[in-house]
Amino acid sequence: MSLLPIFQWINDTGAATYLRESSWTYPVVMASHLTGMALFGGMILMTDMRLLGLVMREIPVSDVVNQLRVWKRLGGALVIACGIMLASAKAESYYHNPFFWTKMAFLMLIVIHALVFRGPVYNNAAAIDRAAKVPTIAKVAACISVVLWVGMVSMGRLIAYYEGYH
Amino acid sequence: MLNLMFVYDPNTNPLNNNEWSFPLLEIIHIVGFAISIGTIAIVDLRLLGVGMKHQSSAQLLKDTMPWTLVGIVAMLISGPLIFSSDPNMYLLNYPFQFKMAALLIAIVYNYTIHRKVALSNPSPAIGKLVGGVSLVLWASVVFAGLFIAFIS
Repeated sequence: MSLLPIFQWINDTGAATYLRESSWTYPVVMASHLTGMALFGGMILMTDMRLLGLVMREIPVSDVVNQLRVWKRLGGALVIACGIMLASAKAESYYHNPFFWTKMAFLMLIVIHALVFRGPVYNNAAAIDRAAKVPTIAKVAACISVVLWVGMVSMGRLIAYYEGYH
Repeated sequence: MLNLMFVYDPNTNPLNNNEWSFPLLEIIHIVGFAISIGTIAIVDLRLLGVGMKHQSSAQLLKDTMPWTLVGIVAMLISGPLIFSSDPNMYLLNYPFQFKMAALLIAIVYNYTIHRKVALSNPSPAIGKLVGGVSLVLWASVVFAGLFIAFIS
C-alpha cells in the first residue's frame, strides 16, 4: 500500500491549504519550529555534553537531567506541533522528498535511542552521580544522541534543497 | 548606491559554485545558535525562577559561558559567509536589517546586563525582567533570520 493517497489527502485539507497559501502564518510556524529547536535542541546538546563531562561539571548529572526534562518536553511538543503543520502544508511534495524520509528515519532512531537509554542513563541519573565517573554507557548514549540530533536538523534543512519534485 | 559598496560578482564566490556549501553553512549556523541560545536559555530559566533552581544563576552562567561563546563564534563565522553569497540582497532586506540590529543588541546585552545580573544572583523581580528580555531578544533574532527568506 502506498502512503501517497494519505499524503495527498493531508495536503488538500483546508488547514494545510490555508497554511501553504498564507504569506505570514507559514513563516511564523517555521520560525517557531526554529526557535523551539534553538531552546530545546540546545538543552539536549548541553545534557549530552554534561554526560561527556564537557560542561557544567560542578553540577550533578541528576540536576541537569531532571531539572531540564520538563522544558525539553515542552520545547519538543512545540517543535513537533510546528513540524507536523509544516509537513502537512507541503505533504504531497514531501512524500517525494528523500530528505524528508531520512529525517523521519532519524526521528525514529531518536525514539529508539530514548527507549534504549532511558532506563540505564536518563532515569538513572542519581546512580551516575554516585559513581566515581560517568559510566561508559552514558557517554555512548550522549555521543549517539548528538549524532542523531545534528543528523535530524541537517536533514530538515536539506528538505528545502531537493529539486527532484515540484 | 549600495550596489557600489560591493563591487564584486557573487558568481565568483566559491559558495555559489557548488551545491553543498550553502546548506552546510546553514546547518552550522543552526547548530551554532542552538548551542548559544540553548545555554543562554538555561541561565534564563533560572533567572525567571522556573527551572534549574538547585543552582544559582551565577553558577549556571559560569558553567555554560564557554559553550555560549562556542555557539556565538560558530554563528559569527557561518553567518557572514552566508551573507557573502549575495550581499546586495541581504543589505536591502528588511528582516536582515532588523536581525542585525537585534543581534547587536542581544550580544551586547548578553555580555553586559545579562552577565552582570546573572552573576549577582538577583532578586526574583530583577531576574524575571532580565531573563525575559534575554529570551525575547534571542527569539526575535531567530524569527528575523527566518523571515529573510520570506519577505524582502
